[in-house]
Amino acid sequence: MGKGLKMVEKKRKFFTKSMIIYELRNVTGNPFVHIFGVGMPVLMSILITRMVVSEISDAAVAKMVSTSTFLGIGALIPLATILMGYSVMQAQDLEKGIPERLQLFGIKNSISICNRAVSEIIFMIGAFFIYFLAGICFIGIETPVFSGGLLYAVCIFIFSVFCFAMGHGLATLIKKFSATYCGVMVIYFAFMIFGGMMGMSYENMSGWMQGVAKLLPVTYFTRDFYHIWTGEPYDFMPMVQSFLFFGAVGGILLFAALKREEKK
Amino acid sequence: MENSSLLSIENLTVCYGKETALSIDHPISIEEGDRIGIIGSNGAGKSTLIKSILGLVKYEGNIDTSLAPEMIATHMQSNEYTDAMATRHIMEMVLGTKISKNKKLQELISYFEFEGCLKKKYKHLSGGQKQRFTIIMVMMQDSPLTFYDEVTSGLDFETRQKLVEKMVAWYEKRDVSLCIVSHYYEELEQLANKLLILDKGKVIDFGDKEELFLKYCGRAVIVLNYSIEKVKLFQEYKKLASPAHLIALSCDTEEEEQEITELLIKNNMDYRRSSTDIEIIYTNAKDRFYGKGA
Repeated sequence: MGKGLKMVEKKRKFFTKSMIIYELRNVTGNPFVHIFGVGMPVLMSILITRMVVSEISDAAVAKMVSTSTFLGIGALIPLATILMGYSVMQAQDLEKGIPERLQLFGIKNSISICNRAVSEIIFMIGAFFIYFLAGICFIGIETPVFSGGLLYAVCIFIFSVFCFAMGHGLATLIKKFSATYCGVMVIYFAFMIFGGMMGMSYENMSGWMQGVAKLLPVTYFTRDFYHIWTGEPYDFMPMVQSFLFFGAVGGILLFAALKREEKK
Repeated sequence: MENSSLLSIENLTVCYGKETALSIDHPISIEEGDRIGIIGSNGAGKSTLIKSILGLVKYEGNIDTSLAPEMIATHMQSNEYTDAMATRHIMEMVLGTKISKNKKLQELISYFEFEGCLKKKYKHLSGGQKQRFTIIMVMMQDSPLTFYDEVTSGLDFETRQKLVEKMVAWYEKRDVSLCIVSHYYEELEQLANKLLILDKGKVIDFGDKEELFLKYCGRAVIVLNYSIEKVKLFQEYKKLASPAHLIALSCDTEEEEQEITELLIKNNMDYRRSSTDIEIIYTNAKDRFYGKGA
């Protein structure tokens, strides 16, 4: 590489209100995140809990099942808003050469990505707010113990970070809207199926399916989080391992993407 | 007083795989106030040159500049933005300012008659509106050096003419340097004072537009539409290389020019006289470079 200009870069603040608002407009302009990140979890949680609860006569058991289902379906929100929403939008931008264009205006790619990440989190918090509002109003979920609620928030946040790493890696490696969309949809529905949200619970899965399900954090949100939510004793190790596995996959994809970009 | 150099290029080579897309052996310097028209057919290396200056492609050689990176503005051949929101939001984010609070930006928007497009999404803009959108943001940078890569390609004649008129008027008052890639030579006749002629990744020539005209065409050139009758009538006169549908006659002296024009008037033939015709410069420079011309 010659010793001339490296890249047109303007000195900009990393996080600015205008950039975050711009990215938030970008995020909310993406119909997929509204459909799969807000509408679908809310509808699914209401419909599934109503369906299941109608067959249970014991009110306490019904409440437990409703809360457990609600907490599990909540894991779809980061999957849809971050993994699907972010990666699809990023791939579309890369396909159109938008980051390159913005870079010529002095807006570094890292600035766009960080501001987009913040806006994704803001959107996700909004989506969870609507989700919990619907849960309280229409499902009547159980009130958590403090540590249970906090752990749910922490686990969702960590899961979101890994979704972001995976989404960014996939989008950067694929660089095509349609292929990225297809890829993340497969992951989204695979997580739903193996996470026990499509009618087949973990206990009813065959051996190999259970093996796959054990590796996915969504399984623990659906199957086990009720125990943490209500402060019951719980062995965290399998769940931690699933998070580590998911994080490792996301990390490898992100690393591969960054390496490829570096080579350019 | 000599203008100082903003950017100089030396021994530049850009390769795409095994193919050499651009090879510049002799030094090229962009000086303050230069308006350089970069011309050449497709694949000549015009956009590659801009991309290498901006560091968007890998290259071997030296590109030295006194300018900080943020002091270079660029209008690329393809400029895409998000579809999800109104153009005003994109503009405000890119420029880091509010339209309502920025007089200069308001002036530019009004100068390019873009007010009606601010609420539209980028995907709903026409080709000309899209170009104006990027031009406004590029001009807002007020950079000492600006690149325009095929800014009018794909636009209809009227839109193209209007856009170039606006650009000419805007830059007339400003002492900044421009590098303009274009296939429309009439635009460059208005905007450029220097020419960089490229072909198949090589520099055919670089210099002052008038000097290049003198070097390749003479004092003036008379251009006629081709016909056998005209070829016979002017067979004694010095002809220049020209596109097949034209005949270009070189006039080295005023007397010679007068003689030709009198003959044309006498025979009631239409003609065009020029001392800046870039198309004829380009054709003859290329011919001479490849050893075909005089």
